[in-house]
Order: sequence, then structure tokens, then C-alpha cells
Amino acid sequence: MPSPNDAPWRRLLDKDRRELAASWAWLVLLVLLGPLVGHAFITAVDSYAEASGASGGPAALAQGLSPLDGIVVPTFGAYAIAVTLLFPFVAIRLVSSEKQSGSLKLLLQSRASLGVMLFVKLFVVVGAWLLAWLPGLAALALWRAYGGHLSSAEVATVLLGHLLRATLTCALAIAAASLTDNAATAAVVTLALTLGSWALDFIAQVRGGVALALDAYTPESALRVFESGEIRLAIVIVTLLLAVAAMALAVVWLHPGRTWRARAIGTAVVIAAGAVTTWLGAHVRASCDASEDRRNSFAPADERALAAIRDPLLITVYLAPEDPRLADLERGVLRKLRRTMRDVDTRYTARGGTGLFARPGEHYGEVWYAIGGRSAMSRSTTEAIVLETIYSVAGITPPTPDGAPAYPGYPLAARPRGAGLLLYLVWPVVVIAAWWWSKRPRQLPLLTSS
Amino acid sequence: MLGLVGPNGSGKTTLLECLSGLLAADGGRVARDGRPIAPSERRDALFYMPDGILPWADQSVAWILDFSAALQGASQSDVAEITRALDLAPFAARRAGTLSKGQRKRVLIALALLTPQPVLLLDEPFDGLDLRQIREVSPLLRRVAATGRALLLSIHQLHDAARVCDRLVLLSDGRVVGEGTLDELRARAGRPGADVEEVFLALT
Repeated sequence: MPSPNDAPWRRLLDKDRRELAASWAWLVLLVLLGPLVGHAFITAVDSYAEASGASGGPAALAQGLSPLDGIVVPTFGAYAIAVTLLFPFVAIRLVSSEKQSGSLKLLLQSRASLGVMLFVKLFVVVGAWLLAWLPGLAALALWRAYGGHLSSAEVATVLLGHLLRATLTCALAIAAASLTDNAATAAVVTLALTLGSWALDFIAQVRGGVALALDAYTPESALRVFESGEIRLAIVIVTLLLAVAAMALAVVWLHPGRTWRARAIGTAVVIAAGAVTTWLGAHVRASCDASEDRRNSFAPADERALAAIRDPLLITVYLAPEDPRLADLERGVLRKLRRTMRDVDTRYTARGGTGLFARPGEHYGEVWYAIGGRSAMSRSTTEAIVLETIYSVAGITPPTPDGAPAYPGYPLAARPRGAGLLLYLVWPVVVIAAWWWSKRPRQLPLLTSS
Repeated sequence: MLGLVGPNGSGKTTLLECLSGLLAADGGRVARDGRPIAPSERRDALFYMPDGILPWADQSVAWILDFSAALQGASQSDVAEITRALDLAPFAARRAGTLSKGQRKRVLIALALLTPQPVLLLDEPFDGLDLRQIREVSPLLRRVAATGRALLLSIHQLHDAARVCDRLVLLSDGRVVGEGTLDELRARAGRPGADVEEVFLALT
């Protein structure tokens, strides 16, 4: 129970918590998450069991089976759907209802600042999103109960990705609600941003170039990095900066007493500051491979050898963005090189070379590696061959493998016992019961004191 | 107590929102003791209670009063006193969204009286109140004004304005068409002994 002497932000926290708990949008989201997560988890467990040889599949398939790919990512994939299609409405409602009911006019004349009001909303909604993780965490607990393996570092990395995505989505929804007159328009704006990021994703795959650079920071692409078990600091920083910029835009636009000129200047300042800081943030190169199978890293001996190369590595890739070989090269080699070496400059020179009527250049398919004036070409996208080429260009002897144990894989042929009951039935019932209980009439201090 | 009087659409609400800084004004200035107050500083001097709003409809009246008092720096004894004065206790446990228009208006007046600003701008404070309630609320507002707070009431019912306010400002089509006590306005209209409606019609 808040005390009368609480700081404004604490009272606002209590207010937004109550408003959120009273909203139908939040109730519907929480109820739907049970079946969404349940379906994702049950399907994942069944598929994992099949891949583990439950129905007489090839035994080799079970080797290297990772619960990260097989269970954690698909189960929490339900949250990716919810955060895109349902979650923004919860945040929008918290702002738009105060605009439309007139509450905002009262708050703007109180001793609480507008910035504090909006950041408290962000905090409350993102905090509530953590509560919404309960079905997902319960599903993972069930997986453990079946005897399944989980890496806490991998789970934490995926959760961090989802948390960042929810934070950015919430900030954008708050900004949309601040910029527009009503909740419906704000919802349209938020969905337009989502569709825009999907379009950017598509364009980046086809056209490459600037679109590819920008695409790395769209919510979907950023989440994929975390889902692969990598924590890339640049993505963390850029996502948080984008969220802060969205909140700053909300502060500029939400106050009804600002002139259009003041809003235009404020918007320009936020966009300029946001662009500069995110550009700087995107250059941070620190990252961490939290995957248990070290899928984002080279072998330790190779990492030591590559890190010892002081000269910059220039890679010139003659592959079109839509060429699957480029995706293989990027996923299998290039992103690991960027994590390992100090200075890697990658240039993509081919554009649209694989279409029906395209006429690729004579170098198409080549990848050139240059270090300190020496260069070599390889057409391979295989890690071992590319590393051999780089060692030869750098003039160093390939390191001897450490003989580190290979990833064992964690096959498990389990049935999703109890998951349907828990997530399809118990969770929705518990949520509705808790919501009904929170709405009950209470004895109030005001009544008892008067 | 100054009454801002005029028919619907005359610009009363727009003026109050501009004064409070909640609506950007095309021109003019707001000054207190001769010192201009920037829009961003208005909330230190003025509090504007809009008409027809329904703040935090899902919360109970008691919680809304408690929350607003805490945010405005008012004490629990202030809340209790205003609750008594406006007779809010019978419906304090109810959600604001379930209140009648008159009950809602009394809650809004209570929220306004819990604020610390020296100038209160109340938009249609009697709209939705019955005659008995108006007769209960009017002395309360007078007592508030007697403590040194200035009250600017936007009222479209001319008789209510004449009964409650010390001075009146008559607005028509966004322009001030008269200002002063009722007697001064009668004199200006050349209608001694006329009621406020006749005075207003004569001046507009």
C-alpha cells in the first residue's frame, strides 16, 4: 500500500499497475498466452521426440540435438507473435485511455513530470510482460521435469532478446499513442511500423546494402541473434537507444499545450540525437557466445590464432544478397570472424546476380580475403576452407586443434504430459480468477476514517 | 470569484485551456502580479479542472482522491474534510465509471479543491448538479475563495453565475463583451434592475 508521502513516481507506478490490471486488453493477452505457449511447446516437444528417434528415425539425427533450437526458441516463439500482434495494444491503452478520459490533463498539472509519467508506464508494461512469461517458464519447467536438458545461459540469452524486443515495442506503442488522437490510430501506426520492419527484412534479403545494415536492428532480426545464443552488445545498445528515442518523442508530442513549431523542433532534435547515438552504438563490437555448442564461435585454437592477426582483414564478396551461399557464408564464417578479429571490413559488390534474366559478372561467386597487401580467393563457404585461406594470406601456420570435446547433443523422446492441461486450461482459469478477485470491492481507509 | 459567462461555443473552455497552458495560444500572455508566466510554469500558479472528463473510471472514488491528494501534496485530513464537505462518502467505494453525472461532478470539484495552486479554473462546476447540490457547493467555493484562492468559473447558466460570482466576464464569439459586477454590467447595458439574462442579451 503506497504511503501519502511517496515520491510521485511511486504513486504513478501504483496507478499504472492498477490501470493495467483493470484493462481488458491485458486480461485477453494473458489468457491467450496460455494456449499460444501451450501449442508451441507441445508441438516442439513432439518434434524433438521425433528428431530424437522416437518414431524410428535415423540415429545420427539425434546427435547434436540442441534444446535451444528444439524447445526454448519455439516455445518462446509464441511470445514473438504476442508481442507483435497483442502487446502493443496493452501499452497503447495505458496512454490513450488517459488522453481520452481527461486524466492526462489532471496529471500534467500535478508535480509529476511528463517524462517520469511515461517512463513509469514503460516500466509497468515491461514489468507486466515479465509476468506474462510465466506460461513459457512453466513450459520449460515441464521440459526439465520430463528429463530434458536446458542451458541456463542459453535460456537467459533468449529471454534477454525477448525482453529487449518487448521494451522497444512498448516504447514505440507509447510513442504512437502520444502522437495520435486515439487508440485506433495508434494501433494502426504501431502495426505499420511492424509491417515496415518486415518489409525491410525482405528488402534486405533481396537487395542487401544499406537495407541489410539497417535490418540487423529490426526487432525480428535482433531477436534471431539472441535466439542463436549470441549476446551482441551493439544490438542491446541500439535497441535501448531506439526505445529511449521513442519515449523522448512521446514526451515531445503528448503534452497538448505545445505548439506545432515546438513539436517539430523537438522531433528533429530527438531524431538527430537518436541517429547519432545509434550509429555510434552500432559500432560497438563486443559480443558473447552463450550457446552451449559454441555455434557462434570458432574452435578456441582458431580464435587465438585469428585474434593474433593485427592487420585488418578485407573481405570482398561477389555474391548477390539473395544467393543462399551468402547466407551460409554469413552465418557460418563472417559473423564469427567479426566476433573474433579486431578489424574486419566486408564489402558486398554483387547486386541481384542470380535472377532469371540476371547476367552475373565474371567474378561472381568469388570471395577475396586480403591482409596487409596479400590476398587470396576462395569460392567456398565452408569454415575450415575459409580459415585455411585466411591463415595462408596472413602467412601463419594453421593452429593445432585443442581436442575440446564435441557438443554431445541432448536427444529426448518425451511426451508433453500435463502441458495441455496446464496451459490450455489451468492458466486461463487462474488468470480469469485472479482478475475477478482483483476487482472485488474492498474496505477503504477513507470510509473507515470518515 | 470571477464568472466567465457565455453561451455554448463562445470560447470559455478554450480560454481556460489556454490560460492553464494545456492548449497552445496563438497570442496573448498570462501574468500574475504583473509577472508573465510561461506555459510550462502555469501549473505552479493555476489548476484547471475540465468539464465532462472521467478520470480513472475503473478505480474507486476513494482511491482517486487518495492518489490525487498524494500527487498534489494534499494531506489525508484535507481528503477527509473535502469528502465530508461534498458528501462523497456514500459512493467512495464505487468505481468512478459507475457514478451519476452529479456524483462525478462532485468528485471533480473535490479533485480541484485538493490542489495547491492559488488560482482555480473550474469549467462548468455546476453542470450536472441539482439545485440542492448547487446550493451546497456554492458556499463551499465561497469558503475556498475566502482563504485567498482565486476562482475562475466558466458557467453557461447565467443565473448560477450571477448568484455565485463576485464579478462576471461576458464572452460572445470568443470576444469579451462586458466585464464587472452585475450592477456595473446593468449600468453599461443601460438596463437598471434587469436580470442577468437581459443584461447579457443587451450587451451581445
